[in-house]
Amino acid sequence: MAAERTANVTWTGSLQEGSGRIESVGSGAFGPLDVTWEARTEDSDGRTSPEELIAAAHASCFSMAFSGGLAKAGTPPERLDVSATVTFVPGTGITKSALTVRGTVPGMDEAAFVEAAEVAKENCPVSQALASVPEITLDASLA
Amino acid sequence: MSAASSESFALPFTIASRVGVLEGKTSPEELVAAAHASCFVTSLGSELARAGTPPVRMTVRCTITMDEIESGDHRIVASHISAAADVPGADDEAVARAAREADAGCPISALIRASATVTVEAKLEGGD
Repeated sequence: MAAERTANVTWTGSLQEGSGRIESVGSGAFGPLDVTWEARTEDSDGRTSPEELIAAAHASCFSMAFSGGLAKAGTPPERLDVSATVTFVPGTGITKSALTVRGTVPGMDEAAFVEAAEVAKENCPVSQALASVPEITLDASLA
Repeated sequence: MSAASSESFALPFTIASRVGVLEGKTSPEELVAAAHASCFVTSLGSELARAGTPPVRMTVRCTITMDEIESGDHRIVASHISAAADVPGADDEAVARAAREADAGCPISALIRASATVTVEAKLEGGD
């Protein structure tokens, strides 16, 4: 089944001095969120950016894929703490997404945890959408 | 989930909000839609300014489609951008041209296009 997800953004004024706002998303889970060029490349100062949203997408996608994979293997996690840090180079684009996960998984050893994390990294839809990003790294270990 | 770099949001998400009923929870694909829309809008503003017709206001809507592929896995298969810009001194064709250039220059468009379809429609809004 295909799933569609939407977001609505407005921008007023120029790129450097103006500002944008993610007015709403289809789920209603967030918005409005302010977006500026400065937040993207310099000091975020409480405002988000496309790259931070990609980081949120990647972290949440990976955590679901990993949790699903662990449950399927008979070792559901108690907790996974995931972070994604996306590097943006103006003029080039996104050059890196670095995933870090610390997990509590009863009955699982470190090697099996790391292997399952690698599988989740490869297969999650956002990782696939980031396939053209030069570097996607994963730092996984049990908490 | 929270945005650590800007501290601008903290949000719940679930598998149900991803493929089924939203119930006020976000999903990775909705976040990609927000990223693509916010990236595209800055590129469009740049292109219109470069053409000598800076916009007064722009609105951009992005719809991300995720679908099941043959292997049974899910993939982001398409992103559709729909833009409207209030641009004094520009016509529909100028806005459409700027939108094509914005699509070519927006890093998130390039990213998504590497593995999915990206389509863009843009029109002039307001002004007389």
